[in-house]
Amino acid sequence: MAELIGSLLVLAGAVFHLSAGLGILRMPDAYTRMQAGTKASTLGNTLVVGGIAFFHPDWTLKLLLVIYFVLMTNPISAHALARAAHRIRVPMTPQTTVDALRDAREQSRGGA
Amino acid sequence: MIRRAGIVLAVALFGLVFATLTVHHVERQSLPPLAKRYVELVPRELGAPNVITGILLTYRAFDTLGEVAVLFMVAAGVGLVLGRRERRTETSFRDAPQPSRQASEIVRTGAQILVPLIAIFAAYIITNGHLSAGGGFQGGAVVASSAILLLLADPRQRFDQQFLSSTESAAGVLFVLVGVAGLLFARGFLDNRVLPLGQFGTFFSAGAIPLLSVLLGAKVGCELSVIIDRFRV
Amino acid sequence: MISTVVLATGLTLILIGIWGMLTHRNILRIVIAFSLISTGTHILMVAIGYVASGTAPIIDRGLSTTEAPMRAVDPIPSALAVTAIVIGLAVTAIMLAFAIRLYEAKKTLSIDAFTESKW
Repeated sequence: MAELIGSLLVLAGAVFHLSAGLGILRMPDAYTRMQAGTKASTLGNTLVVGGIAFFHPDWTLKLLLVIYFVLMTNPISAHALARAAHRIRVPMTPQTTVDALRDAREQSRGGA
Repeated sequence: MIRRAGIVLAVALFGLVFATLTVHHVERQSLPPLAKRYVELVPRELGAPNVITGILLTYRAFDTLGEVAVLFMVAAGVGLVLGRRERRTETSFRDAPQPSRQASEIVRTGAQILVPLIAIFAAYIITNGHLSAGGGFQGGAVVASSAILLLLADPRQRFDQQFLSSTESAAGVLFVLVGVAGLLFARGFLDNRVLPLGQFGTFFSAGAIPLLSVLLGAKVGCELSVIIDRFRV
Repeated sequence: MISTVVLATGLTLILIGIWGMLTHRNILRIVIAFSLISTGTHILMVAIGYVASGTAPIIDRGLSTTEAPMRAVDPIPSALAVTAIVIGLAVTAIMLAFAIRLYEAKKTLSIDAFTESKW
């Protein structure tokens, strides 16, 4: 029974990883590709590692530490990459209508 | 046009060679004689459960010394190629950074939480080289990754180049001195039986291998941090 | 079977790296292709040392001292791979240092701008 739940979780994680890869291939510009790659693959990681915890119950604490570490590092690194890309003016796809970071930077430069 | 045809021809020929290698590959059924001797000798004579670290730091320790020399040459080479850029960037650090050049608050806070965790993990990998997978080189690379995180969080930060250089040189000299002690007191250069072997599988065991791992980890970590520091804007 | 699959993966990575190195004109993409070749070589080295249904050559609860020579995987290619990975990092660092200096000299990242070494 526990193995069934674990296998379902691992399968769900693999589906999310597949959608992350598909998103990286099909998204129009760098920012949307980064969003697809990070969000979906972090969730996929969490689900796969959680599924393994059902197979080996005595590893649960170590696997929770692994999930915590992945949750701390993946979004922060994607955030730093996206801000760096915006700084060197990587073009956005024309379907994006709002650019909050550019407005905030102009405001701070105009006001300061 | 000619160039594209040449590229396709080269890749196709390489692909043919690789396909032949894959098709005729036969999986090995038992260990070759030299590997069997190593796997028997390392737990018995050196007292180290991890066979790979025992090979790297005792039986093939001369290769490890050569690799330490290669890393030192690369650090000197990067310092030579990128060295003269330091003078031009001195002036830009004196005025206050614009808000857009500072690292964002998320990265700074994340670095405050993650750098101690990474440092503990690096120390664990270095000191557990003889018991489980790990060792000096792997732990040194993790130390360098924490240096990258520190630089990302605060781009104006200066690393103390003097401290890093002297630590690296001291670790290298101590490594060679332990090796020479092996020549004088035990059976050969960089033999690990200068220190007592202890009980198999505990933390303080396997002679001089934990000491050599710590020295190697310190040297590799400082070296890679110096290389990364050269790349700063 | 397992080692054949891993061997094919390593050789495919090397092939992709060779193609990328020959095709691209941007210096940073050539550096990434070199890094791919070196990763493929590490995987190739570890795959050669695999013994059928073997396990890692570390003596712990799963592998005792007496049965280690029967069941352990060849430790020598793994030791060589450890060395090779660290040296690969150092070589990539010096390639990137050269790329930075080349960019500062000609303000472009395409290698078609550097024709002094050609005949």
